[in-house]
Amino acid sequence: MLSKSQARMFFFGGTIFFSSIFILLTIDTLAKVDERQNVDLLTPSVIRGKEIWDSNNCMGCHTILGEGAYYAPELTQAVSRRGVQWLTIFLRDPAAMFPGQRRMVDYDFTDAQIEDVIAFLDWIGKIDTNGFPPEPDLRPPAAPVVASTATSASRPAYFDEVCVACHAVGGKGGGVGPALDGVAKRFSEEELHRWLADPPSVRPGTAMPNLNLPDSTRTELVRWLRTLE
Amino acid sequence: MKFKSQRVAYLFFATSLLLFTLQIVFGFIMGFAHMGFDVLHDYIPFNAARASHLNLLVVWLLSGFMGATYYIVPEESDREIYSEKLAVVQWAALVIVAVIAIIGFHMNWWEGRKFLEIPRPLDYLVVLDILLFLFNVGMTVWNAKRFTTTVSVLLLGLVSAAFLYLPGMITFESQVLDSYFRWWVVHLWVEGVWELIMGGILAFLLIKLTGVDREVIEKWLYVIVGFTFLSGILGTGHHYYFIGAPEYWLLVGGVFGALEPLAFLGMALYAVTMARRGGMRHPNRIALFWTVGCGVMSFVGAGFLGFAHTLPQVNLWTHGTIVTAMHGHMAFWGAYAMLVLAIISYAMPQMTGRKLFTGWLPEWAFWTSNVGMIGMTGAFAVAGIAQVYMERKIGMDFLAVQEAIEVHFLGLVLAAALLSLGVGMFIWNFIQYGLPNDEAVTGA
Ligand code: HEC
Ligand code: HEC
Ligand code: HEM
Ligand code: HEM
Ligand SMILES: [Fe+2]
Repeated sequence: MLSKSQARMFFFGGTIFFSSIFILLTIDTLAKVDERQNVDLLTPSVIRGKEIWDSNNCMGCHTILGEGAYYAPELTQAVSRRGVQWLTIFLRDPAAMFPGQRRMVDYDFTDAQIEDVIAFLDWIGKIDTNGFPPEPDLRPPAAPVVASTATSASRPAYFDEVCVACHAVGGKGGGVGPALDGVAKRFSEEELHRWLADPPSVRPGTAMPNLNLPDSTRTELVRWLRTLE
Repeated sequence: MKFKSQRVAYLFFATSLLLFTLQIVFGFIMGFAHMGFDVLHDYIPFNAARASHLNLLVVWLLSGFMGATYYIVPEESDREIYSEKLAVVQWAALVIVAVIAIIGFHMNWWEGRKFLEIPRPLDYLVVLDILLFLFNVGMTVWNAKRFTTTVSVLLLGLVSAAFLYLPGMITFESQVLDSYFRWWVVHLWVEGVWELIMGGILAFLLIKLTGVDREVIEKWLYVIVGFTFLSGILGTGHHYYFIGAPEYWLLVGGVFGALEPLAFLGMALYAVTMARRGGMRHPNRIALFWTVGCGVMSFVGAGFLGFAHTLPQVNLWTHGTIVTAMHGHMAFWGAYAMLVLAIISYAMPQMTGRKLFTGWLPEWAFWTSNVGMIGMTGAFAVAGIAQVYMERKIGMDFLAVQEAIEVHFLGLVLAAALLSLGVGMFIWNFIQYGLPNDEAVTGA
C-alpha cells in the first residue's frame, strides 16, 4: 500500500517534472509566436489600438480571440466581416447602425482613435488562430441572387460595404431599413440626393444615420439606385 | 476554538458574505441586460457590471481563504496568530482595494483584461497586502512546535497563488502574449494552486468532522494534489488552442485538459469516502453537508462540465460562448464558494459557542442555494448550446441569436432568485450566531 512519504514524492516529483516541461514549451512558444502573429504588422497604430481596447474594457462586453464576455459580437474577424468603411461609421456612433438594439457604450472617439482601433482589429484578424472562428458548417445553401445582371454590374462598392448592413437588395442584406428593390419607382433622382445627403433633415427621427457621403459617392449611389426598377 | 486570536477569522468571513451579496446584485444586472432590460446602461454599462461581478467573486473567495487560514493555522500549529493587529491591518487593506476597484470600474478605470481588471496601481496594493498576510501566517508557523501536512499544503497553495499573480502584472504590446500570460494567473489559479488551498481546507474539515485518522487523510491529500499538478499545469494548453499559439497545444491541451477531471473526481471520492468512514457522527451535520457537497459539486462543475468543452474538437465551436459561462458558474460555486461556506459553517459554532447548526434554516440554505445553482447552470447550458448552433454552426447574425435566446435568461434569473434565497438564509444564520466571544476559547 502507498505510504505517505511515497505520496509526497509523487506530488513533488510530478510538480517539478510537469512545471519544467511547461516552461520549455513556453520558451518554444515564444520563439514561434512572432511568425504566427505577424509581428512585423504590429505597428504603433495597432499598439495604440490595443491600449484603447484595454483601457475601455471592451472585453467586458465582447470576445476577442474567443476571450471576454458574451454580451456583444465576437470581434476576431470584425474587419473581414464588416469592412473598414462600415466600422468607421459604426464607431463614430454605435447606436446609429443598430437603432433600438442592445446598446454599446458611445465613446466619442476621434477619427485617429477609430483608425487605431480598426488597425488593432485588423491585426487580430490576421493572426493564425488554428482555424478560429470556424466556418459555419450547417449554413443553409445561399438563395440564388435574383437581381438582374444589368443592375449588379454597376453596383457601387460602397453599397456592399455600408448600406447592405441595413438594406437588402434581391433578398440579400440587413433588415434595419426597408428593402431597396424597386426604390426607383418610389423616389426621383432629386429626392434620393436629398435623402442620402442628410436623412434626419428630411424625416426627423429617422433611424437612418447621416453617413456624410462625399458628393461623388452619393452621385454614384443615386445613379445605381435609379436602376432598381 | 482553541485560541483567542482565531476570532479574527470572523472579520474575513463577514466581509466575504457581504461581498458575495454584492456580487449577486451585479449578476442580476447582467441577467436582466441579457433579457433585454439593460435599464442601467447609462450608469452601470454591462462591462462595469461584469468586471464588478468577477472581481467581487475573486475578492470574497480570497477573503474566505484568508479567514480560513487564520482559523486553521493556529489550531493546527498549536499557537496564537503571530499578530492579530497585523491581520486586521491586512484585512483593511483588502477591503480598501476592493472598494476602490469597484468604484473605479464605474468610472472607466481598469485594465480591461478579463478577471484581471484591477488597475495596475491597485495591483501593487494587492501584492503588499498578500505579503503582509503571508508574513503573518509564515511567522505563526515558523515558531510553532507542530507543522502538519494540512498546513504545509495550504501554505504552499497560498504562496504559489501570490507568486502567480505576478505574470498578470506584465504589460504586453501583443494581444497574443497578453492572453498567453493571463492564463498563468487565471487557469493556474483555479485549476492549479487554488486546488491546494481547497485540498488543505477540505483535509482540515474532514479531520475535524469525520474523526478519520489524520495520517490517512493527509496521505490522500498528497495524491489528489499530485494529480492536480500532473494534469493542471500542461492542461493550461486548453486555453492556447485558438489564441495564436503553436499547433501542438491542441494535442498537449487536449490530452492534459482531459485528465484534469481526475483531480476533482479525487476530491469528490475523498470527501464522500472519509465522511462515510467517519459514520457522519459529528453533531455539526450541516458543515459536513457543505464539505461533502463541495467535493461532489466541484466534480460536476469543474470536472464533468469542464470535460464537456475541453477537447479541441468541441472547444472550436464552444470557445467564447455562453457554454463557458455555464461551466464557470458551477465550477466556481462547487469548488470554491461551497468551500468557503463549509469552513464558515464549521467555524461559526466554534468561534461563538452557539450551536445554531440544527433546525431547518441552515439545511434549507444548503438545498435551496444548490438547487438554484443547478437551475442556473441548466439555463446557461440551454442558452449556450442554442447559441453555438445558431451562431457558430448555422452562421446566423449575433444579435438575432441573442434575441432568440433571451427567454433562457428569464430562466436564469428565476433560478438565480432561488440561489439568492438560499444564500440569504445562510447569511441570516450567520448573523444569528453573533460575534466570536472569549467564552468559546477552549485552550490547547
Ligand atoms: C443604420 C442603418 C442604415 C444604413 C447604414 C443605411 N440606411 Fe438607408 N434607411 C435606413 C432606415 C431605417 C430607413 C427607413 C427610414 C425611415 O423610413 O425613416 C432607410 C431608408 C432608406 C431609403 C428610403 C427607402 C424607402 O423605400 O423608403 C433609401 C433610398 C436608403 N435608405 C438608401 C440607403 C443607402 C444608399 C445607404 C448607403 C449609403 C443606406 N441607406 C444606409 C437605415 C439605414
Ligand atoms: C456595454 C457593452 C459594450 C462595450 C463596453 C463595447 N461594446 Fe462594442 N458592441 C456592443 C454591442 C451590444 C454591439 C452590437 C451592435 C449594437 O447593438 O450596437 C457592439 C458592436 C461592436 C462592433 C461591431 C461588430 C459587428 O460586427 O457588428 C465593434 C467593431 C465594436 N462593438 C467595437 C467595440 C470597441 C472597440 C469597444 C471598446 C472601445 C467596444 N466595442 C465596447 C457592446 C459593447
Ligand atoms: C474549480 C475549477 C475550475 C474553475 C473555477 C473554472 C472556471 C472557468 C472559467 C471562469 C472559465 C472562463 C475563463 C475565461 O474565459 O477567462 C473557464 C474556462 C474553461 N475551463 Fe474551467 N474551471 C475549472 C476547472 C476546469 C476543468 C477541470 C476543466 C477541464 C476538464 C476546465 C476546462 C475549461 C475550458 C476548456 C475553458 C475554456 C472555455 C472557452 O474556450 O471559452 N475547467 N473555466
Ligand atoms: C445569483 C445570481 C447570478 C447571476 C444572475 C449571474 C449572472 C451572470 C452573467 C449574466 C454573467 C455574464 C455572462 C456574459 O458575459 O454574458 C456572469 C458571469 C460570471 N459569473 Fe455569475 N451570476 C450569478 C451568480 C454567480 C455566482 C454565485 C458565481 C460564482 C460562484 C458566479 C460566477 C461567475 C463567473 C465566473 C462569470 C464569468 C463566466 C465566464 O466568463 O465564462 N456568478 N454571471
Ligand atoms: Fe483551464
